[in-house]
Amino acid sequence: MTTTTQDMAKLSNEERDILHDVGFDDPSARAATSVLADREMRMALSNDPGVEILPLSEALRTYDFVQDLMFGLVSPDENEHIAMVAEHMHDPLGHFVWVKPGAKVRLPVQCFTLLETPQGRQFTHDVTLIDEGAEVEMISGAAVPGSVHKGRHISIGESYMRKGASCSSVSIEHWGAAMDVYSYGYAHLEEGARSRSTAIMMAPLTHHLSRSHTILDADTNAVSQAIVFAPEGTERIIETETRLAGEGARSEDVARMVSVGGRIVNSAMLVGDAAGTNGFLGCDGLKLSDTGEIMAVPSLRARAEGAMLSHEASVGMIDSEKLDYLMATGLDEDTARNLIVTGFLRLDHGAIPAGVRTRVVEMIEQAKSGGM
Amino acid sequence: MLEIRNLTVTIDDVEVLADIDLTLPEGELHVLLGPNGSGKSSLLATILGLPPYRIVAGEILFDGAPIQTLPLEARARLGIGLAYQRPPSLEGVTVSSFAAAIGAWDRLEREAAALDLTAFLDRDMNVGFSGGEIKRWEVLKLVLQDPRLLLFDEPESGVDLEHVIAVGEAIAHAVRSPDRKGRACSGLVITHTGLILNHVKADRAHIMKDGRILHSGDPQALFAHIQTDGYSVPA
Ligand SMILES: Nc1ncnc2c1ncn2[C@@H]1O[C@H](COP(=O)(O)OP(=O)(O)O)[C@@H](O)[C@H]1O
Ligand SMILES: [Mg+2]
Repeated sequence: MTTTTQDMAKLSNEERDILHDVGFDDPSARAATSVLADREMRMALSNDPGVEILPLSEALRTYDFVQDLMFGLVSPDENEHIAMVAEHMHDPLGHFVWVKPGAKVRLPVQCFTLLETPQGRQFTHDVTLIDEGAEVEMISGAAVPGSVHKGRHISIGESYMRKGASCSSVSIEHWGAAMDVYSYGYAHLEEGARSRSTAIMMAPLTHHLSRSHTILDADTNAVSQAIVFAPEGTERIIETETRLAGEGARSEDVARMVSVGGRIVNSAMLVGDAAGTNGFLGCDGLKLSDTGEIMAVPSLRARAEGAMLSHEASVGMIDSEKLDYLMATGLDEDTARNLIVTGFLRLDHGAIPAGVRTRVVEMIEQAKSGGM
Repeated sequence: MLEIRNLTVTIDDVEVLADIDLTLPEGELHVLLGPNGSGKSSLLATILGLPPYRIVAGEILFDGAPIQTLPLEARARLGIGLAYQRPPSLEGVTVSSFAAAIGAWDRLEREAAALDLTAFLDRDMNVGFSGGEIKRWEVLKLVLQDPRLLLFDEPESGVDLEHVIAVGEAIAHAVRSPDRKGRACSGLVITHTGLILNHVKADRAHIMKDGRILHSGDPQALFAHIQTDGYSVPA
């Protein structure tokens, strides 16, 4: 299957513009693409024989095993939101991505969600299966058009990485300023699987709860970083649990948080359930205004002998010595601050698309000048 | 280029510099000698306008105009730059992104090569740098910044013998050649060991002690004197 102009016509120019800001690229430059808009799977196409991408409802009918993957990592009555998603739809809304065994997928797979109706209610469920020995890069994003500021989005994501699979992913969200968003993500990495993920949570919204739960089997390696921003009026609650369940599992989980008047609570729990495991939690917060709050709560729980767990947490304002050091080279204060903040967030990290980087810097600028 | 008159400076009401007079003409390179705690770093920091120093008397003239009330970045823009003795580390701010921010990205690779820092372009500034690497980076930073008055705070301490020549030559070259607008430069170098004198031909040396300038004179002669008689006024 290859991309056709017909496929492209399924998205308006405005939709494409909004999606570009959260990492979208022309489907012909991607291995596979899915776009969900409101309650409709607008696009689900693959250019790569190693990747199958389908609306979840269709996948359930096509492949027997998909029903076992769905709610395989989380129970449908885990909490009221998940129960609501589970019961809300006879036809589940979301995608099923399957990277076939051994496939080395050259171009990224991209998946997006759009909420286009003001006061819309969107409940989605995505299932991702990266099969044995497969390698893939994933980009996912969520966005609203400028006209939508109020609404609610609840998502469940379940990701399975089979033995020796490898995945690097970036997710970027840009919701409406008065929205409530609840994201629940569950992942299981089987023996030898490797994942590297970056989550960018920057655009303002009223309330965002992001909960994720990762189980790491033997000899797996998971590196994740979250880049979190909260301007005035934004509250973000991030809860992660990483379970080092198999011998030799390794994880590194770093959150970098910037508040300009907003509230960020980051609770990260690392559990060492097996010997020879090694896990690190990092939570660093930078407060750019006197108002707002950053709370970092890293916890470690070693349950097996030989589980090496550590954490580092820091929350503070910009260090004036660093600011002076930069200004002593002739930089003005704003430029010096931006350099420190973008550095703090590691925005020049290769995983972050250049367009996204620029937008993030603009967003921080805007928040500081009170224009948000 | 730089003229300091009757300068007295305090930190929290404690005097750290007392009645300093110092003239640094255009095109000259001077060294500051003195024991630990004598106020050498305080003098450079005060010239640039770094906290927490408070000027309680005297003035600092740059190109004939007083600068002591100007903020830090304004003095930097007039053309004053400092290679720090102990710079802070800037996590996430790479050497390249800094060079881009000060508009020196196009010169970075070439200038870095002269100080054997080519492998450092993607490193975060001063993060995990060894003592000697910090010094080389501070010299490179100043070269990129291209000031007219170059202040170096113990640029050779901690630098291994292999690199001390490169550091000395980079300092000499930066001070002795005109800036990118073709204007002559001047340099003020704090040296603890005097090692740097083997690589830069200094025009004049000043001995500092207890926040005062005790004596000024020929660099080689004064350094020889210090080695035999300590930080004192030669007979
Ligand atoms: N930030 C500071 N706070 C308090 N005292 C300081 C500070 N910086 C320097 N001093 C004091 O000022 C005096 C001169 O220090 P400094 O200029 O660093 O000396 P030098 O560079 O010659 O070794 C010392 O007594 C030192 O303890
Ligand atoms: Mg000193």
